[in-house]
Amino acid sequence: MRRIMMSVVDGKGFDLILVGAALIFLFLFSGLPLLYNILMSFQEVDMFSLGKFFRPFVGLDNYRALLSQPAFWPIMWNTIVFVTCSIGGQFLVGFSLALFFNLNFVGSTFIRGLFLVSWVMPGLVVGAIWNWILAGDFGVLNYFLENLGIIDEKIFWRSDINYSLWAVIITNIWLGTAFNMILLSVGLAGIPEDVYEAAELDGANAIQRLWTITLPMMRSTIGAVVSLGLIFTLQQFDLFAAITSGGPANSSNVAQYWAWELSFRQYDFAKGAAISTLMIFFVMFAAIVYVRSTKHEVRG
Amino acid sequence: MNMTKQLLGVSLLALTAFGSAAFAEDVTITIWSLDDETQPAYTYAQEFSAMDNGITIDYREIQFDDVVSESMRAFATGQAPDIIAVDNPEHALFAARGAFLDITDMIAASDAINAENYFPGPLNSVTWDGQYYGVPKATNTIALYYNVDMFTAHGLDPDSPPSTWDELVDAARALNDPDNNIYGIAFSAKASEEGTFQFLPWAQMAGGGYENINTAGAVRAMDIWRTLLDDKLASPDTLTRGQWDSTGTFNAGNAAMVISGPWELNRMVEEAQFDWRVALLPVPEEGAERASAMGDFNWAIFQSSDHPAEAFAALEYFASQDDRLFPEFGQLPARSDIALPPTGVAPKDAALIVFLEQLQYAQARGPHPDSPQISKAIQDAIQLSLTGQLSSQEALDQAQATIDAILN
Amino acid sequence: MTSNRIQYTLLGIAVIFALVYLFPLYWMYVTALKSGTEIFAIPPTFVPNEPNWGVFGYVWEVRGMGKFLWNSLVIATGTMIITAGLGTGCAYVLARYRNVWIDVALFLILMLQVLPASLMITPLFVGFSQIGLLNTPRFAVILAVSAKAMPFFVILVRATFMAVPGELEEAALVDGNSRVGAFVSIVLPLAKNGVLVSAILIFMQAFGEFVYSKSIIQDVNLQPASVGLNAFMGPNTIEWNNIMAYATIYVTPILAAFVLLQQRIVAGLTSGALK
Repeated sequence: MRRIMMSVVDGKGFDLILVGAALIFLFLFSGLPLLYNILMSFQEVDMFSLGKFFRPFVGLDNYRALLSQPAFWPIMWNTIVFVTCSIGGQFLVGFSLALFFNLNFVGSTFIRGLFLVSWVMPGLVVGAIWNWILAGDFGVLNYFLENLGIIDEKIFWRSDINYSLWAVIITNIWLGTAFNMILLSVGLAGIPEDVYEAAELDGANAIQRLWTITLPMMRSTIGAVVSLGLIFTLQQFDLFAAITSGGPANSSNVAQYWAWELSFRQYDFAKGAAISTLMIFFVMFAAIVYVRSTKHEVRG
Repeated sequence: MNMTKQLLGVSLLALTAFGSAAFAEDVTITIWSLDDETQPAYTYAQEFSAMDNGITIDYREIQFDDVVSESMRAFATGQAPDIIAVDNPEHALFAARGAFLDITDMIAASDAINAENYFPGPLNSVTWDGQYYGVPKATNTIALYYNVDMFTAHGLDPDSPPSTWDELVDAARALNDPDNNIYGIAFSAKASEEGTFQFLPWAQMAGGGYENINTAGAVRAMDIWRTLLDDKLASPDTLTRGQWDSTGTFNAGNAAMVISGPWELNRMVEEAQFDWRVALLPVPEEGAERASAMGDFNWAIFQSSDHPAEAFAALEYFASQDDRLFPEFGQLPARSDIALPPTGVAPKDAALIVFLEQLQYAQARGPHPDSPQISKAIQDAIQLSLTGQLSSQEALDQAQATIDAILN
Repeated sequence: MTSNRIQYTLLGIAVIFALVYLFPLYWMYVTALKSGTEIFAIPPTFVPNEPNWGVFGYVWEVRGMGKFLWNSLVIATGTMIITAGLGTGCAYVLARYRNVWIDVALFLILMLQVLPASLMITPLFVGFSQIGLLNTPRFAVILAVSAKAMPFFVILVRATFMAVPGELEEAALVDGNSRVGAFVSIVLPLAKNGVLVSAILIFMQAFGEFVYSKSIIQDVNLQPASVGLNAFMGPNTIEWNNIMAYATIYVTPILAAFVLLQQRIVAGLTSGALK
């Protein structure tokens, strides 16, 4: 008993308790629901058996049924486009802004702080506002683009199959930029001044310095930002619900929205669960990116 | 007179049924419905709760989109309410699986609820296997609203609105005025129940229907919708906008006609700054069979309810108040025995006459326990065709294949 | 050192960036102040013709927003406490070592986040109903939201702990401190800023939580402002100005607190604590 106490106060036990408490909590409230979903994807589910664990087992039938739907591959492709472009856009805009604000001019901290508002805004509100901005007939985005001479004809962002996915991507980039910028600013601030000064003395120009110093030294930050961004993006649901509902004709539908649609619009819970199980592969990719990026960390 | 009698009946029933429990604690029953404090269900529930009948109502307002998913989840975990208001095409989903209480005998014994008094369409939607699993809450249908001022301005005769599909397209073309941001017509082809609701009557008028959607007439209907969109006679946002928002553009003067239902009447009276009227939904050709959509919710009691008798007493009270539906709330009762008095608002009264006629042609979607999937197949066809990815024939053939797989 | 001129040019550019980026926020404010028909006007008006300032008081009264905001506050605070309480220690350990078990733990923490809240809600609802947590719905929501927020918090705070020099902790241990003592008196104070800031970010996210609250909290008196807003936004909505006024009231206090605190937040994140 005493040995256990000792270990808790002063040894491995302390570490185990700290990590264990969080992991058990996560297992209960994230892990179990996830397992329930995976289990459900191999079963036949209806509204009566929703509350049970043991239901008729159907093997891979749900997956087969999904794959045979003509919408399956287009939606998977949309998911990849949505995730890649959202993350790419968020990262580029966020990183550019972070570099810009890192110039430390008058008021830079204050204005950088203002960018975090998108973090504060509930998804529901963001969706509603962008819905207005993107509206085809009276939307303010079309108004700007027309006045700037960029477009001649109104773009029906939400209803044109060529643009609907981009409508959500644009909104999602807006939403995620703040988070990218702040975390990347943190990473930038972590690079010691003297490294730059030395490089400058060696005659490296700004772009060379970016490639040879900034990016390599920020590998772990970038890894964290990209993997968290990937997860946030894969979980993005409010914007689809508010702006396009995945339409028209599934042109802006993605895995996470489709899973919800199957479960809660067509009440086909098992197929919805099957899609969410497939999404695990996407997230596994994110997790690997992150864990690998931590290899480059140095402790203080 | 009639109302007092019914009221008396309800309270008598309540007294005899729970006389013994009258001094004990009130029985609490839970109601989930989408009505807010300005709408009938909420209002009636409060009134019924306030009556001295030993029954208290716990009312939860629930969003249209969440009704089925929330109640399924609650039912599966034993948390279902006693009474629910459910959209009529989804009634069979619950009834067929025994989630709703069979109230056939209760209705037979009731003074306040009389099956013969209901319109056949709504009554059909609460029926499964010859038994009644609910009571229609209200009903509605769709028809064609048109802007009389614009008709006159474009040389169309407001006294003879388009009555066939071709005339409708011609009228939309004549009224279309892109320079002034005016579309010829507005409707909803949204990939939701609203899209099915709007398209199905077109298919039905042309010999198609819920179970055979790829008939020649239905293909023609789809082609007409496509013309309206391709020629920009309707906003491209028709594909993603619901009926309420589409009608909003009509009210704002950005569309000359709109296909929508009587739920718009009160708003239109308030908002529209022009003269408007309502016409029957145009038919495929002169003299063709009419059809229209049948909308609105039904009441049902969950089979898991601990207080079915009290719950039914609440439904009886709600039914006894059906004559207030139109004057107070602008909704149409699903009953033929209630005369709707004129409201004194001329365009509204004129519109009401049209809607009541249109209601006679209203057909239920289903009833079928898999109606959400069938409806989804139709929505997909609408969207695939209107976005030009498939021809109307191909899109409807694909939908038919899906529907056949569901039905067999 | 850069001259004043460059400084102000940069400031000017920054202001333009901010204006573009904050436009949606501006649009929320002006839409709230517009009349019903002005909202649909083509071309759009950028300054309301007749700003209706009364709309805020009206919406506050009619929708009973005080109660909703209080519930949001309760949920956000609870989430922040649970997340920070459980996440800080976890992040500390994950930063302290470097081995395959740490990798596994990090991997698991991220993997558990695969499903969006909209899909997690069914299993959570079923589970909560079985253990009776639905009777304390706000607490149930706090638990669910904390599980959702935890990985983000752990990863941020772990980075903070990475920046605390390992030698300081070792020195404390050599001085005779126990592990607990070294953690509480040396490591934690050094990482305080990063932990606080991350906790504030979690608070702000939880303040807007919607999906869990909507399904789990059925009693209107316990629902947060997001659910209240949604109830207001139904499919048949015409009151867009009122909805935007609601959104304004909902977002503005937290925005104001944020603007006041942001110097500290951004500084906490970008300087000292993290390096």
